[in-house]
Formats: sequence, C-alpha cells, structure tokens
Amino acid sequence: MLTPAEMEILATSFVVAAKALLVLPLAIAAAFALSRPRLPGRLALDGFVHLPMILPPVLVGFLLLMLLGRQGPLGGVLHLAFTQNGAALATAVMIFPLLVRSIRLSFEATDPRLLDAAAMLGAGPWDRFLTVALPLALPGIVAGAVTAFAAAMGEFGAVITFAANIPGVTQTLPLAIYAVLQQPGGEAQAMRLAALSLALALSGLAVAEGFQYWARRRLSR
Amino acid sequence: MTLDINLHFSRGAFRLEAQLSLPAGITALFGPSGSGKSSLLAAIAGLARARGRIALDGEEMQHLPAHRRGIGLVFQDARLFPHLDVRANLLYARRRARQPRQLEEVARFFDIEGLLDRAVTNLSGGEKSRVALARALIAAPRLLLLDEPFAALDGIRRSAFIATLLEAQRAFGFSMLVVTHDIAEACALAGHVVALKQGRVVASGAFAQTARTPEFQALLDPRDVGAALPPAALVSGHAAGPAALWLRADQVLVAAARPSALSARNILESRVRAIVTEAGGSRLVELDSPAGPILSRLTPEAVDALALAPGGTAWAVFKAHAI
Repeated sequence: MLTPAEMEILATSFVVAAKALLVLPLAIAAAFALSRPRLPGRLALDGFVHLPMILPPVLVGFLLLMLLGRQGPLGGVLHLAFTQNGAALATAVMIFPLLVRSIRLSFEATDPRLLDAAAMLGAGPWDRFLTVALPLALPGIVAGAVTAFAAAMGEFGAVITFAANIPGVTQTLPLAIYAVLQQPGGEAQAMRLAALSLALALSGLAVAEGFQYWARRRLSR
Repeated sequence: MTLDINLHFSRGAFRLEAQLSLPAGITALFGPSGSGKSSLLAAIAGLARARGRIALDGEEMQHLPAHRRGIGLVFQDARLFPHLDVRANLLYARRRARQPRQLEEVARFFDIEGLLDRAVTNLSGGEKSRVALARALIAAPRLLLLDEPFAALDGIRRSAFIATLLEAQRAFGFSMLVVTHDIAEACALAGHVVALKQGRVVASGAFAQTARTPEFQALLDPRDVGAALPPAALVSGHAAGPAALWLRADQVLVAAARPSALSARNILESRVRAIVTEAGGSRLVELDSPAGPILSRLTPEAVDALALAPGGTAWAVFKAHAI
C-alpha cells in the first residue's frame, strides 16, 4: 500500500491539478471564440493560445517568474511564486492549449445552423450559447477536462521552475520522482511512483473515453 | 400583416435586389436554384446581412437582430435540438415567445402528442417536419418563413405536409412566405407569388394571374410549363383544398370533337385562343376553358390533323391523377 509520504505526494498532485482546472471557463471562452469563423484577430489568438505547447516548459516557468516573481511587474500584488497556487497556475498555463484544442473541436463539430434555429425562436447570443452550444459541446468539454486533469498531474518543467519542489506544497508526482532519483538508491521508490503515475494517467484517459462514448450514444438515440 | 421589403446585398459576384410589398396569407418565393430565394429569406429573418428596409405592419426591423424580430423560420432540415426531447424543443420556443400558444393545442393539431417524450433523433422525416412546424408556430410569430420545407420529404409525405400546412394556416391564421423551386408546391400553397431570377424580382402578384405572364413561364423548366386551375372546377384526387392546381401542358390532351367512353374525368369544352410554336418545334395550344386558361403541348402533326386554329372549339382532356 501507499506510504504516508506517497499519500502526501498524491494529495498535492490532486489539489494542484484540481486548482489548475479552474482555468476551464477561460478555456471554454477561448475555444468558443476560436470556433467562430469570422472572429477578428482569430489567427493571433490561436497562436497565443498554443504558445505553451510550443515553448519549452522550463521557459514558460521562467516567463511566469519574470512576470510574477518578487522583482516582476505583478510580483508585488500576487505572491504566487514558490506556492501551491503558483504550481497550479504554471500547470494551468501548460494544460490550457490542450483544453482549448479539445473543447474547440466539439464546438466545431456542433451544427452552427442550430444556433440560427435558436435565434429564430427568440434566443439572444448568451441564451444560444448557454442553451444550445454549451450543452451540445458538453461531452467534449468533460472529456477534454478529464484528459487535461491527467496531464496536469504530470506537469514538470514549468512547475519546478516557477514553484520549486517543496514537499507537501508543490511536490507533485513527477517532481517527487525527480527528487528521489537525485538520491542514491532511490530507483525502487521512483519505480513505485512511476507506476502510480502511469495508473492515474491511464484511468484518466479511460474515464474520458468512456464518458465520450456514453455522451455520443445519448445524443444519437 | 403586410411586409414591405426594399433590400439589396452582395455575396461575392452575386447581387440581390428586391423591392416588394406582400399581403397577408401565403406567398410563394419561387425561382430556379441560385436565384437568391434562400438568401432573401435569410435577410428577412435577420440571419444574413442586407442593406435597405424591412417593415412588418409598418414597424421597421432592418436594425433588429434575428431573435428580436418576432419572425418564425422553418428550415428545410428541421433543425430540432438533438439534446432536447420533442416536448423540450417545443418548450424552448414557448418560453421565449411574447404571446405563446398552448403547447397541448399545437401538439394536438399536428398530431404529435404521442411523440412529446421521444428523442428527436428517433423521429421519421415527416414527424420531424411536423415537430419543426409546431415549434415555430407555438411562438405565434407575426410572419412564418419556410425555406424549402418539403425538400427533405418523399412524394406521399410531401403532399401530406402541404395539406397539414394549409390546414394549420386556416386554423391559426398566420401569414407565411414559402421558398420553393417546385411549381406544383407553389401553386398548391400560395395565393401570391414572387418570382426571382438571378437576384432580381421578375414577376410578382396574385398567383393565377402572375403564372400566366411570359416572364414567369420563362422561369419554368419546359416540362413544367402549364397553368393554374381552381380546384372547384375540376375532378381531382385532392382532399384538403389546395389554393390551386398546376396542370402541366404535357398532361393535357386535345380533342377536336367531344370524346366519349373515356376514362379521363376532366373534359372541358374550350376555345382555342392561340397556338404558339416553341423553340423545339412543338406547339403550345392556349385554350380558354370554363375553369380558366389551359395550356397543352402538341406536335405540329397533331395540330394539323385536328385542324386546330385560333377561335375554334376544342376539348381539353386530362386525368384527375395528372393534377
């Protein structure tokens, strides 16, 4: 079974990933905006959203430090560097493109003409978004969130750079694996943590797939 | 209801200009594909941008977004919301309407009471059309637009849906503008017609008169050339009263003497008004019958053999099932 230290690592990972998922509404908004073909500045927004995917994660962490570190322009207001919320923020930035990509696909897969039909029944723009676009994209949103949660548990470079590797605070699974690998004879412990990490990631993917299968059947009864 | 339109817009190389004034009742927006019918409908609905003026009963609405115009639209593909069941689809419209109709009343009228708890993905084509029409009407729109509402239906379901639409119009008393490229549908439904060609209105007015004009006949496929006849004067297989019946020139026989012992139920003594030579060499015989003008397409040999000439008498003969 899991040792107390492993339980603490697992709990930290869960809390950091859960906090990172608070970025979901922003991801939904960005995904919906990007799914509109006539949005002005769409290419620029698209590029910006995908930046964390292309940049080295360490660089993302470093940029966050520049911005939010003690000397950074926002560092005086937001004390996030080397905190658990900071780890969640770095994780959120990293999973953001992943979320936007999968949610955007499900917005694009829903028939835009249904929104016209809703307008002709008297529904305004917000009403159409909340009652037609969002429910139809929900399976994709949940699947994207589950996948992103699994990915969030494995985030490394940006987190260790911006929030450091503090046991009980910012030490998530991959950071713990890294830490034990630094010690002589830590391989056995690392193997246990790696197996745990793999099991979590696989079950996350399975949940996402299962939910999508269920939702697809529900919408095409 | 009166609808005044003075709109123009461009989509790439296509340009549409329409200046119209439509009366209450049913108007058909008729024209070949690519004539701009659906684009004009979308502009009236507020779903597509257009410059100019749209006034419904004198109230200008060109600046209003689609959801604030109080206009209903039934699409060719029913566009029911797949995440809601039939009842929830109807309630979606009812909750947002200013003066909604009773759900039970509308459901009973369209015979969809038994479907209310069904998923919309589980309906047949005809059921979908009826639910879509019910959903649009439950909001009691000031004007109902229909974009090729019969295109997705096969023959029997199509005539059944036309009958349903006519009954609904009589029962609920709304005005509608129906886009169609099918002359028989336009004829069965509409008291009024607007003919579009390449983005221009080429003819507009009461259906029976407008359909006789050369501008209108020029829009028709040669096989569709014909005339509108009032159903009352004819023996036809139609139960629910269509506005008029479209009799194609190819389906009318001409006899020089009164035929007897014939299965055809419609034999109308007529006067030959004119004989026109068509592009392919065939002759279009215009007959004045007691039911109104009738066209018949004959070969030159038939015209000679019967010695047909303007002013002479001839009998127009056609089967009840031809209309």
